[in-house]
Amino acid sequence: MRSSSSFVLPVRTLRAAAVLAVAVGFATVAPIAHAGPTAGTPAGQVHRAVAAADAAGGQEQAAKPYMGWSSWSMQSSKYPGLNPDGDYSYLTEANVLKQTDALAAKLKQFGYEYVNIDAGWWRDNAWKPEFDAYARQTPDPVRFPNGMKSVADHIHARGLKAGIYLPVGLEKEAYGDGKTPIKDAPGCTTADIVYGDLRTTNGWDSAYKLDFSRPCAEKYIDSQARMLADWGYDFLKLDGVGPGSGKSGDQYDNVADVAAWQKAIAATGRPIHFELSWSLDRGHAADWKKYSNGWRIDTDVECYCNTLVSWENSVDDRFDDAPAWSRLAGPGGWNDLDSLDVGNGAMDGLTKAERQTYATLWAISKSPLYTGDDLTRLDSYGLSLLTNREVIAVDQNATPAARPVTPADAQQVWAAENADGSYTVALFNLADAPAAVTADWAALGFTGKASVRDLWNHENLGTYKNKVTEALPAHGSRLFTVTPRGGALTATAYEAEAPANTLGGNASIADCSACSGAHKVGNLYLGGTLRFNDIVVPKAGMYTVKIAYVSGDARSAAVSVNGGGATSHKFPSTGDWGTAETVSVPLTLKAGANTITIDSGESGYAPDIDRIDVPKTSS
Amino acid sequence: MSFDPFDRPSRRSLLALAAATGALASLPAFTATAAPRRPDSAPTIDGGSRQELWWQAPADDHSMIEQGLPVGNGRIGALASNDPGRELLLITDATMWTGGLNDSLDGDGQFPYDREHFGSLTLLARLAVDIPDHDLSAVSRYRRALDLARGVVTSSYVRSGVTYERQVFASRPDDAIVVHFTQSGGGRYTGTVTLEGTHGETTAGASSFGGAFPGGLRYGAAVAAYGSGGRVSVSGSRISFTDCKDLTVVVSGGTNYAPDASHHYRDPSLDPEQLARTKVRAAASHSADTLLRSHVADYRSLFGKLDVSLGTSSETQRSLDTWERVRARALDSAPDPELEAAYLQFGRYLMISGSRGSLPMGLQGLWLDGNDPDWMGDYHTDINIQMNYWMADRAGLSQCFDALTDYCVAQLPSWTELTRTLFNDSRNRYRNSSGKIAGWTVAISTNPHGGGGWWWHPAGNAWLCNTLWEHYEYTLSRSHLEKIYPLLKGACAFWEARLLPYTLADSGREVLIADSDWSPEQGPLDAKGITYAQELVWALFANFRTASAELGKDTGYAKTIAGLQERLYLPQVSPKTGWLEEWMSPDNLGETTHRHLSPLIGLFPGDRIRPDGSTPSDIVDGATALLTARGMNSFGWANAWRSLCWSRLKNAEKAYQLVATNLHPSTDGSNGTAFNLFDIYEVEQGRGIFQIDANFGTPAAMIEMLLYSRPGHLELLPALPDAWAESGSITGVGVRGGFVVDLSWRDGKPTEARVRSVGGRTTTVEFAGSSRTVSLKPGGSVTLRDFAR
Repeated sequence: MRSSSSFVLPVRTLRAAAVLAVAVGFATVAPIAHAGPTAGTPAGQVHRAVAAADAAGGQEQAAKPYMGWSSWSMQSSKYPGLNPDGDYSYLTEANVLKQTDALAAKLKQFGYEYVNIDAGWWRDNAWKPEFDAYARQTPDPVRFPNGMKSVADHIHARGLKAGIYLPVGLEKEAYGDGKTPIKDAPGCTTADIVYGDLRTTNGWDSAYKLDFSRPCAEKYIDSQARMLADWGYDFLKLDGVGPGSGKSGDQYDNVADVAAWQKAIAATGRPIHFELSWSLDRGHAADWKKYSNGWRIDTDVECYCNTLVSWENSVDDRFDDAPAWSRLAGPGGWNDLDSLDVGNGAMDGLTKAERQTYATLWAISKSPLYTGDDLTRLDSYGLSLLTNREVIAVDQNATPAARPVTPADAQQVWAAENADGSYTVALFNLADAPAAVTADWAALGFTGKASVRDLWNHENLGTYKNKVTEALPAHGSRLFTVTPRGGALTATAYEAEAPANTLGGNASIADCSACSGAHKVGNLYLGGTLRFNDIVVPKAGMYTVKIAYVSGDARSAAVSVNGGGATSHKFPSTGDWGTAETVSVPLTLKAGANTITIDSGESGYAPDIDRIDVPKTSS
Repeated sequence: MSFDPFDRPSRRSLLALAAATGALASLPAFTATAAPRRPDSAPTIDGGSRQELWWQAPADDHSMIEQGLPVGNGRIGALASNDPGRELLLITDATMWTGGLNDSLDGDGQFPYDREHFGSLTLLARLAVDIPDHDLSAVSRYRRALDLARGVVTSSYVRSGVTYERQVFASRPDDAIVVHFTQSGGGRYTGTVTLEGTHGETTAGASSFGGAFPGGLRYGAAVAAYGSGGRVSVSGSRISFTDCKDLTVVVSGGTNYAPDASHHYRDPSLDPEQLARTKVRAAASHSADTLLRSHVADYRSLFGKLDVSLGTSSETQRSLDTWERVRARALDSAPDPELEAAYLQFGRYLMISGSRGSLPMGLQGLWLDGNDPDWMGDYHTDINIQMNYWMADRAGLSQCFDALTDYCVAQLPSWTELTRTLFNDSRNRYRNSSGKIAGWTVAISTNPHGGGGWWWHPAGNAWLCNTLWEHYEYTLSRSHLEKIYPLLKGACAFWEARLLPYTLADSGREVLIADSDWSPEQGPLDAKGITYAQELVWALFANFRTASAELGKDTGYAKTIAGLQERLYLPQVSPKTGWLEEWMSPDNLGETTHRHLSPLIGLFPGDRIRPDGSTPSDIVDGATALLTARGMNSFGWANAWRSLCWSRLKNAEKAYQLVATNLHPSTDGSNGTAFNLFDIYEVEQGRGIFQIDANFGTPAAMIEMLLYSRPGHLELLPALPDAWAESGSITGVGVRGGFVVDLSWRDGKPTEARVRSVGGRTTTVEFAGSSRTVSLKPGGSVTLRDFAR
């Protein structure tokens, strides 16, 4: 069973948030502006707008990405000794309390506060589920001999929040003969809450789909929510939710479930953070944002192997998948990249460099920061990663989620502009060997000198002109704050739709409300080409050329200059076909007129191109 | 060899030494060295950044073959990671070979080709210097460089405001590899030094280990570390250092290999571990600066013999690190003359680092990343080992060639014995059908234990001899000629027994042809009269006749050989394909674009086929057509060979294009140049391996484009490409006939050519069809100007 963690968590009060902000050394900064690119707004700014939240419960809930611990990574691992009584058997009261105490002792002071019980609390060690007289999940007496409230009470006694988990839908085994009554819903039984044909739903088809055209269905959700609230849980992860969780189509559309849960939680009067899982459909982002406080954008990070995770399975997937969601993160709802298992190298199954990279991507993406490690066995490096206040601040501050400012190639740079005009800049080397990675200031929109602070190492590295280049280990990263000391970059814009350009193959001009000039060049596929003619620069050199594009999925294109050799670049998804973003590529131009060609390749599909910006000075 | 490089005997005294001992080649490869000469001051070196390759990322454990930087003292070598937190050295000794004589043929009459019996070159040791606080993710402004002018690998970085610097070099005078750590700004080094074997040795102490292979070869290595301002101590299996202001780590090692067939290639009296301990102890009694000065002076004595400029690169090109530059060069398709000249010099660096005083370089030279190199890292005698040494004499590194000579001389008794006892085995499809046997030959692969691997390679003897002969043509060294003469004579004897009479159908002429053979490495396995063998044997016979005359030996036998040479069949042009025939057949029996250019061996490295009117034009045309058909895109060594052939045909642009192709960056194992400039051979899709031959063949091609020579004749700028035509110079080029040439040019035309005699007396010097004759006494020189267009 592939599950994903989710957490129930009480609404964080404004006071608590302020305390946390002070703790991590950052003042609380209100969201700066509303909305990502809109019609007529040229794309091309480093991500700095924070989308306003309209999530369930209002903005005070999940004002920041939550932090804590989840049980699933250890449950799902075959690491020796973790699950002695069969798969997933790690989940017990004793283990949860042990981790609670460790979290309180080691991590609470850094902002970690949620202890989240994942899948299986109502299942025995053979994974057989147990239900109460009202078809609601009930704790397995072996795992939780004192019931779930007792656990929540212990967690609360440590000053922490308690999280719990449920799958979406009515689990098949809870149906009984259809006559099981629904709590506090006179006349309603399990047969009254599902479809007559008992159609299944969720990522594993393990439940019958609830039919919300029948009033009893909502009552069932209400009864579950009431139970969790009564137990004192502050966080719920609802798992297997579609569209997503590997499923699509009406049968797996659980938007109504999610809406019902949001309403039911509100009705309990208890603030409960509501998280959705897994691989939620990007096309329904507005629904997730409306009804929940966070959504898993990807499959499980766990490897279901002899360690908790592995680089390829599947930490590295997030680099490809996060960009489509980055603009959606904001107070009230966050992009959940899944557990952050960086606390113990041997158990995590990652190199030191990979662990830092993992934590870096999570922080700049404003992902919830919940570790799945054994908190009683953190190694010193792991502890330093999980407790780096400058990095935690990147996750928790008001700066929006970072986006790639370069193509999604083996070496890539992500950035976001901070409220004070500085930039959070992450360098990544996703290659299997050490490599130099360069962040060009021109890709951030300025030129000249800038001071660089190394957040992981708590060091000011000094002043760098035009760019910073660092050697990164295989799968390595750096995380900097870059403060411009020079001026804004001036560039010349060349619209893709300009008549001076040459279109080849199927390429054609199309309307684009998100694009500058309200047009773009599309149909760049199977040999489609767009050539910008007459790109004039005064001096030969390397120019950091910004490409504005639209691409609902990650696509590759070959970029070449003056008919020379082409470099294939992968353009990260812009999330949908109505949003423009930019990435920058270094191009060697000669003095005078040049051509720049963007080519889909004979068998490829390239993004639609809005515009390119060519700086007036080389870098 | 044990010559002190700082007190090198003159040729005459060397000869005397050779005569006196009569057994130069029997000295062990790992042996005590004379006290090094210690220069008082560091030499001043110009050339600046042109002589520096630099990068902005290190290697790690998993990327050593493409990102590790090579060092070597000609005997031991290493790949260095230059990772701030972990300096890793993968150390190889040229003699660190498993296997043995391998004299039991397989059922097909061929040699076993495995790591157990034939053997493989393997790693000697791994040395790691761990500095935990200097993790790569915690340092900034990382830079590493290979200083070609001094033969030193450097790296530097900043950690918490302190600049740390590191040097790695392999010293021949001190016979050790040195890693020197310094800092400026009040920094300290704390960490450990770990020396380990790679063959499952049980190391007793932290400072040395030893072991032995089943074949009897013993080996060992030792390390010493010393610093200032802190503590250095042994703790368990490691050496610990704490709070050191600077640190020096010295490592050495070797085997008891001895190039002496009569002792089965072993020196039983030699204890390699003990000798290594003695060597590192001796070196560690000197400061790192002293060790460095001694190394640089020694290295300069060879590196300084050739300088080259192929033009000026742009400021943009100069601003890039070496790997960026390789990629930009391919992307922009724009010549980068300084990078190209540096690539040539990198080849010379590898030659100096890999081939002095021990065994010659095989498929990977001294640089491995594991104990299972493809094709055993062995000596391939059907192109690869020859190509490795095409550059040496041309590039002022004749001394480096000696390792190949000494190897062949030391192997000869064993090769002769194996040929006598095994070649005519009835199962061997390549045996002499006459039943006669004499002399010696080799297998396609050879090891240093006197053995062969893979298949018999009848013409391999001739190619080895012709390669050794060319060295004589460059140097006119009589001692060299005397050393190789038995090889030439034995090879002639082999062919005297092997050649078959054959009557040509068209003319009825009686000729001699080679018995059944395989044209490397394609087509029929039983072709008689393959062009490869005919050309090689033709040249062998010619060379032997000259050698005999020079030495005044075997006059009668030389006449016999002359008679055979006259009757040798030489290839014709196929009426079907228009190509010079490969198999004495008008049909194309192989792959059109096959990597090997075996039938063109008379064009290069031979020069029987010349486009100067002395060769019938149909033969030149047939050779040109075949070369054209072979294509322009193959493996690195195959491109280098093609480039040399096009250069011989004076097609400058094709010759240059092939050089440029080899400079293409290798990605995901594709053919091309790696991050560290090693040439990568794509064994299969996605898997590339290092093969060193193109790193030598390509520079050889570059020099051949600037200067063609054969005894008595040299030609300036025979194939100068447009990319280098504007202006350039090269000094110290060895040319056949016993001269060294310094040449400069402008606008495609020589401006000055200085010809120095290193033994040669008369040569014509030609440019663009007009020539003049130069006569010099040995040691004399003349400068020529005013060349006609």
